[in-house]
Amino acid sequence: MLICFLVTSSLSFLLLLLKSRPLKILSSRRTCFRVSLVLDRHRSPVPVRPLRLSVKEKMSPASGADNAEESKGGVSPLLDLPELALECILEKLPPDGLLSMSGVCTALRDRCRSDYFWDKHMKQKWDRVVGPSASKVWQLGLASRRDNGDSNQGKQKGLLRLFSLVWPCSWAGERINIGQDRTCSLPHDSSVMSWYIALETGRFWFPAQVYNRENGHAGFMLSCYDAELSYDFQTDTFRARYPPHGRRAMALETGVTWERLRSPPVDTSPHDLHLSDCLKDLCPGDHVEIQWRRNKEFPYGWWYGVVGHLESCDRNENYCRCLSSDAVVLEFNQYSAGSRWSRTTIDRRNHREEGNEVDGFYGGIRKLRTDDEISAWKRIWPTGLLE
Amino acid sequence: MASSRKITLRSSDGESFEVEEAVAVESQTIKHMIEDDCADNAIPLPNVTSKILAKVIEYCKKHVDASKAEDRVNDEDLKAWDAAFIKVDQVDQATLFDLILAANYLNIKSLLDLTCQTVADMIKGNLFPVRNEWLNFTFSIANRELVLVCLTEWVAHRRLFCS
Repeated sequence: MLICFLVTSSLSFLLLLLKSRPLKILSSRRTCFRVSLVLDRHRSPVPVRPLRLSVKEKMSPASGADNAEESKGGVSPLLDLPELALECILEKLPPDGLLSMSGVCTALRDRCRSDYFWDKHMKQKWDRVVGPSASKVWQLGLASRRDNGDSNQGKQKGLLRLFSLVWPCSWAGERINIGQDRTCSLPHDSSVMSWYIALETGRFWFPAQVYNRENGHAGFMLSCYDAELSYDFQTDTFRARYPPHGRRAMALETGVTWERLRSPPVDTSPHDLHLSDCLKDLCPGDHVEIQWRRNKEFPYGWWYGVVGHLESCDRNENYCRCLSSDAVVLEFNQYSAGSRWSRTTIDRRNHREEGNEVDGFYGGIRKLRTDDEISAWKRIWPTGLLE
Repeated sequence: MASSRKITLRSSDGESFEVEEAVAVESQTIKHMIEDDCADNAIPLPNVTSKILAKVIEYCKKHVDASKAEDRVNDEDLKAWDAAFIKVDQVDQATLFDLILAANYLNIKSLLDLTCQTVADMIKGNLFPVRNEWLNFTFSIANRELVLVCLTEWVAHRRLFCS
């Protein structure tokens, strides 16, 4: 009986492969309607046979043939629809609706898992905070899980192994501990759906940057630090894990809201110096971010500042020569005027890393070019001046 | 300038409907037929019954009229009209699906969007009669993470060879 099952399920898989997802719009070709009618008939989706075969597959927990028959009846009007219409319906579903529908039968499962739908959901929800660096980490993780997964597969018995080859069994070989440690249960397949779920359930810790870390700690005001984030869907906030700060252990912060996050704008690791490419263009009034760290053991954070006028300049627009001088003044107006943090000067021509153990080290500088970036900093401006 | 030419559409059960050209060309399929001069006599639509064709024409007429009006208020009114138009068919699922098929065949994007959104809403609201015990089970779970995890396991068919 198992062999029969195997054969029928492989057949259905193959049939579905042959009729793989055609995303064509209903033809607006200028053919006479009779021809397009014929085309329509052939384009009618989902071979009925896999649906009948898949009735056996729907072994719900309470099982029984009646149950399977009922479900087939409920869903077949959907599957009889033309491909475009079905796609139109599925793309209007929210992610959990999509996931639910994918559990109904094989035909729907294969459609609902398609990257086409999940790309949209990823973009809508995660695009702002999940950037190329997170994507890289995900791909690397996939590759290593795939390599390690082989050893797990060896443990599976013969027939089970065969099943996992026939179906894209993405979570094969992993035990999922619900509510327990979430780090060890991530999939092998590279579908966008897996990525979305890994993000949504908080299983995947992705690299991003957090503004005003540690709940508005005064020592970090108007800064942005790299961290690993994990989403908590129950509160719609994030847990942030900051890398060790010198001798200080890894810090964990909870309740980080969406506005305090961004994906890293440059591909520089927090321990590396960013190579500044905007030094020549910096003139008074420009908004910038500069790397700063207390000492060489600590990671850099990005700090917001504004380019100011030289002391010698009388701030007259027509006579300002600050752009042509070698020195660039950076003002950090969140600090009071007398504070040692409120101003610093860097060398336009040779700036790399400058500073000392007392005042910290100023590293690479980035000019903020978009209004979005500038307003993101302005939004988190502290209410009072800092010392 | 839209001509006031009348187009005759014939449904599968032989009934003829005379509509203005502006209304008929809401359907891209009919529009192409007209442009290709296939429409000198009545246009036969063997895929669409008279009942459905009447509804489609009602929809197209309303939308053509709405686009002629100048003031913006009509957007909300139109949406309300659409909602009322389709609500009737939520009760009668067969008509809803026939409308989807007709909108697809006749290539009327806005009607297709409207009908598909209705089905999607029914699925979301669990009004869609999908009798799958697994789905019933998952909808009753309060813990959303558990749902996501369980559904993903189901999707990967682990249950199949674990039992």
